[in-house]
Amino acid sequence: MASKIETSVVVIGGGATGAGVLRDLSLRGIQTILIEQRDLTHGTSSRYHGLLHSGARYAVRDEETAKESYEENIIIKRTIPGSIEDTGGFFVKLPEDDDEYVQKWVDGCQRSGIPIEEISVAEALQEEPFISKKAQAAYRVPDGAVDGFTMVVDLVADAVSRGSRVLTYHQVIKMIMSQTSVKGVLVQNMHTGEQTEIYADIIINATGPWTAKVAALAGVELDIVNNRGMLAVFNHRFNRHVINRLRKPGDAEIFVPAHDVTIFGTTGINVKEPEDLSLERKELMEMLEEGKSLVPDIDKLRLIRAFTGVRPLYQEKRIEGNSGRNISRGMALLDHQSRDGIKGLISITGGKLTTFRLMAEKTVDLVCEILGVHQTCTTHQEIVPHRETKEFFQKANLAPAAKNKLIHWAGKRAKGMEERLEEEDLLNTVVCECEQVTLGEIESVIADGKFNLGDIRRRTRLGMGPCQGTFCNHRAAALAVQRGLTTATEAEHALLQAVKERQKGMDVVAIGETAKQLELMKAIYHVSLAMEVEGEENV
Amino acid sequence: MIKMPDNSFDQCLKCNTCVVSCPVSNHSLEFGGPKHLGPELKRLIENQEIIDDPSVEYCTLCGNCDISCPEGVHLTHFIIEGKATHSMASGPRFRDKILSNAELVGKLASTFAPITNSLMNTKLVRVAMQKNMGIHAKRRFPKYEFKNFNRRYKKKTANTERKVAYFSGCYATYNAPGVAESFVDVMGFNGIEVAIPDQHCCGIPMLANGRIDQAKKNAVYNVNHLLEYTRKGYDVVLTCSSCTLALKKEYITLDIDGAEELSEHVYDAGEYLRILNEKGQMNTNLASIDSKSGYFAPCHMKAQGIGNPAMDILELIPNYQIQDLAAGCCGQCGTFGFKEEKFDLSLKMGTSMQESVVELDPDYTVTECGMCKNQLDQMTDKPVKHPMQILSEAYQKAGNS
Repeated sequence: MASKIETSVVVIGGGATGAGVLRDLSLRGIQTILIEQRDLTHGTSSRYHGLLHSGARYAVRDEETAKESYEENIIIKRTIPGSIEDTGGFFVKLPEDDDEYVQKWVDGCQRSGIPIEEISVAEALQEEPFISKKAQAAYRVPDGAVDGFTMVVDLVADAVSRGSRVLTYHQVIKMIMSQTSVKGVLVQNMHTGEQTEIYADIIINATGPWTAKVAALAGVELDIVNNRGMLAVFNHRFNRHVINRLRKPGDAEIFVPAHDVTIFGTTGINVKEPEDLSLERKELMEMLEEGKSLVPDIDKLRLIRAFTGVRPLYQEKRIEGNSGRNISRGMALLDHQSRDGIKGLISITGGKLTTFRLMAEKTVDLVCEILGVHQTCTTHQEIVPHRETKEFFQKANLAPAAKNKLIHWAGKRAKGMEERLEEEDLLNTVVCECEQVTLGEIESVIADGKFNLGDIRRRTRLGMGPCQGTFCNHRAAALAVQRGLTTATEAEHALLQAVKERQKGMDVVAIGETAKQLELMKAIYHVSLAMEVEGEENV
Repeated sequence: MIKMPDNSFDQCLKCNTCVVSCPVSNHSLEFGGPKHLGPELKRLIENQEIIDDPSVEYCTLCGNCDISCPEGVHLTHFIIEGKATHSMASGPRFRDKILSNAELVGKLASTFAPITNSLMNTKLVRVAMQKNMGIHAKRRFPKYEFKNFNRRYKKKTANTERKVAYFSGCYATYNAPGVAESFVDVMGFNGIEVAIPDQHCCGIPMLANGRIDQAKKNAVYNVNHLLEYTRKGYDVVLTCSSCTLALKKEYITLDIDGAEELSEHVYDAGEYLRILNEKGQMNTNLASIDSKSGYFAPCHMKAQGIGNPAMDILELIPNYQIQDLAAGCCGQCGTFGFKEEKFDLSLKMGTSMQESVVELDPDYTVTECGMCKNQLDQMTDKPVKHPMQILSEAYQKAGNS
């Protein structure tokens, strides 16, 4: 027998959009529960390059989106300082790129209010030596880099501090309907199988590429095109600024500096399933070939992994009917009562990470209208607590690199962590050397529930560096068992899962050093530690 | 032209082979280790905030990490950058400036040699030096010679078919002019005239103390002056393994113009003689020497990747017994072992060398490096000789002229 909970609003989806909606609702004092089938940012929000668009990329094709992106870019930089790096960006024109496009682009940026500045090619090369020397023109734009993991985690934590609830590893298996009204959702705990009925006035479907599937649970048909893009991660951060190509937007032309790496993308292939995250070597090779024009030394830079993400692109086919409000070509807010005659369900989809806050604002405006709540949005002003905490850890027994990581990471955890680190020196141990993750950080993010190295990785960067967890995943698992945070069986399962996940991303880029790294990893896990390879008997 | 940065840190697989081979990491947890302070830290600061890790002071630049790395990461190159960062962040220490200025100290100390030497053996002076300068009172200092090599040998050109430009280095010039003279003799016995080009300290002590700009200045001076010789057909030959490593490798990683061209003409003295021997051009009229010696290979000799040429050459001497002490790093490590706070660690690092000497019980020990000699003098009771001194003796005894 399922237990029952009541709330005003249920948000389905723990990505940027869902987290944004949750936080906006919490700021307007509306009781909300967020449901996520796996971990926060399990879907598209962690599977992209981390570019905080200046809007310049859309300046020619879609001025509305360009304008929106720029406005949001400014707001996000101000309100979520802990997850943004104001790197700035370059747009670079190469000889083979259309000359006429440049003027169109400059005009478009001007019309959209995006401040751009032309700089000499020499200056651009001085600041970004990896850019092609054949470049013919370069412009500065206010692009930034955003950490999708920390941003979503922080948005959700802020909402929780205001009274919201979050259920991760819970899947919606059914909409609770009364004729044409959605009254709630039946969710299932992915670990225990336990079911819960959650009743709410409004259900918000913010599930990205799963939007159509979730809507279908209420009998609503949606046309979402799931478009898969590939991204490749370079071993080190070889650029300071985001580097874009100044041409009609295409594949493989964005290089984003993200913490200690550079992320490069992307491609676009329509796929059926939101879970289709397959990786193809051919796709990678084509992407690298294309990227070579902008960064000629691309083959000399070590890749550590590749991954794919699925973009939800919304197409409104039934435009003749009483459709949902199509806010712009980018984002789509669908009130299923007016669109499909299904009460109590709203879908918010399309859009891009840069505009997630605006998507949330529009969604919550609609919620307020339906609920008759008179509260205006404040997310463009309310600041998410910063992660930088320079006043802490000055005396911590840590090497400077680990300390540096911690003061840029700890945020609201800093005070508590500092006390713990002082009490117990073992917590100062660096477990992941590539990304300088200490045992203290790991323990501070281990939530109740199943031990999962992926969850730890998304929160701390454990295993995200050159060795991809060759050395730290087993250390983290062993320490967790030793310290009674998990059982040996659970840790072994988590370890196998983590190793498999890392190897998948490494395998597709495995040439040169990363091929050797992969072999070293296999030797450590499957030979020295004699762990099974999934699907094979342990011999 | 925009120079592309050294991206060899990308090749690090985090295997820790360098850490295992690091003499300092093997004896101290104070040091962040070659992997962390080399490729790891480099990656973390690339196009980001600079991080100053003071433990980089513990790196002796011995180069064992460089040769141990299976992936060819230029570890010491990144550590040298880290040392420069640290020195900039903390301000250069007076003591380290003095210690790393081997040339100036050598000039002054040799000018007042008898006084310098007796002062350095005066306990009161040494206690004051430890207190005021941080130079350990129990650390033995090499002796300085008033009649330094610059005062003894001034020949600027050579007229033989093979011509050698000798980079004598600070140690042979100011502390051991006898070594330099033996080298000139050995070359003479092989029909090769030796010229001594204008030169400054190779810069290794400066790099070890974070003074990268001064090291680069010296490097530019040396490269320019030595190229004048190599372009006239001279070979550059050295008797100090650290200077040799600087000319062969460090100047290239410091990105000095002409360093690569120069490096093709640079030889360690033993290596040079071994080449002559292989070509059948070496004078092998060597008298028998009936003694047993232990060869201690300096780290900077190992870092050149040329084996033990001194042993190969000394083994040509009839009846001469020489055995490799195979005992890792001596622990003196140039200026490192003089420092108050590193003195104990320096001795700890030298224990395997000490034990190895006791076990072999040779008549004397042999090494190319003046600093290894200093530690051997500190930790063993055996005399220490340079290979060129032994070779010169064998030539003289054989009646060569």
